[in-house]
Amino acid sequence: MSHLHIPDGVLAWWVWAPGLALALLLLVLASRRAGHDEGVQVALRGALGGLVLAAMAVELPLGPVDYHLSLAGPLGVLLGAAGAFQVLFVVSAILALAGHGGFTVIGLNALVLGSGAALARPLYRALRAHRSPAVSLALAAGAAQGVSGLAWFAVVGLALRLGVAAAPARLGVLSGIALPLWVVGMLLEGAVGYGLGRFLAKVRPDLLPGTTAPRVGAA
Amino acid sequence: MIGVMARIDHLASRGGTVWHRASALSKLILALLVLALALATRSLALLGALYALAAALALTSRLPLRLVAIAAGYPIVFSGLFLVSAWDGTWQTPARLLLRPLAASLIAVWLVGTTPYPDLFAPLSRVLPRSVGDGLFLTYRALFDIGARGERLWRAMRLRGGAGGANGRRLAQAGDGFATLVLYAFERSQRQYATMRLRGHQGRICGCRHYAELTPFDGWVALVAALVVTAACVLWRSV
Repeated sequence: MSHLHIPDGVLAWWVWAPGLALALLLLVLASRRAGHDEGVQVALRGALGGLVLAAMAVELPLGPVDYHLSLAGPLGVLLGAAGAFQVLFVVSAILALAGHGGFTVIGLNALVLGSGAALARPLYRALRAHRSPAVSLALAAGAAQGVSGLAWFAVVGLALRLGVAAAPARLGVLSGIALPLWVVGMLLEGAVGYGLGRFLAKVRPDLLPGTTAPRVGAA
Repeated sequence: MIGVMARIDHLASRGGTVWHRASALSKLILALLVLALALATRSLALLGALYALAAALALTSRLPLRLVAIAAGYPIVFSGLFLVSAWDGTWQTPARLLLRPLAASLIAVWLVGTTPYPDLFAPLSRVLPRSVGDGLFLTYRALFDIGARGERLWRAMRLRGGAGGANGRRLAQAGDGFATLVLYAFERSQRQYATMRLRGHQGRICGCRHYAELTPFDGWVALVAALVVTAACVLWRSV
């Protein structure tokens, strides 16, 4: 629901090409913003990227369809918008190489997932002032998934309305399928965020933003 | 998915066909050529030719038939909504919508099934920003380690009764399990960085240069590329 499983050649070029160009531009900007925090941060992003891929590989059966987690929200909270976007681009590229979505939708996938991840940390910080880390992370993760889901729907809806010779009625069918999955996705990502926030607050609170400086560079 | 990726990885490294022995660069160029033509053309004849060629490449690389069948079947499943939406009463439109992703996915499975991942990522890492290029290698390596760790963790949780009880308890256990994996990923990254520094890491993971070393087997790739270009010239304007 937050990841486009669309193979190459289905979307019109003017849907995926600007998405890829924008994603590459954001990637360059995100890399510059990361600046000189290389080394351990690159290793950290690689490890979390591996975790996101592993989580995406776990299919959760929801009746006739399978759902997989995206973890865009927790990733956005832990790494920030720039770091999370780099991870999500890499994850989308590896998924494309594994035949999970086409090469042409790598940019769109990074943008769809990245839109949610970008929101997660500011929202977490705002919520953290009044709520526990677990609740804040749960709400941030759920909201991030909600935004990614809306971006997904916008891309697919646009493609159906304009990219191919679609009938407007098909959007109703799409909405009927997508809406329940969108809600379930937010709940699941929120639950994962809650578990993660609760555990990290007890064990390594320094890894959550808004607490003491992360010790990840201390090695 | 992790199992399929591990299988492809193994096949790409251990295979002995001419495609496995050709350089990654030439195969990447051929794959991009086929992909670009499949996306650009409206000619059904050319799309059919590209599909037949991609299928022939995938089948001659001795990849398991099941893997090729999955690659061939995947676009059919995920194009369904678009196929239905785009149907205009003719057979040409759905055929066009189906042949494009089929050709693209088969050429992709041929590429990743005959090219070890360091050779595949190395040229990509040279055109991407440094941190992203490095991220490709590190993420791919981390996937298998963390995936295996996650499997062991869930198995241990089940054996110790973590999968039983009320829904709320199970959800809490699953959350703790996932958080343990996140913590492991953090600690793993610290160890990995320490190892990278010990091995002389100077700000970039250098992908090997094998990807651009041409071999006599690249002649076969060039021959296929010539066939593709000829087919494009002849069939571009046909229906």
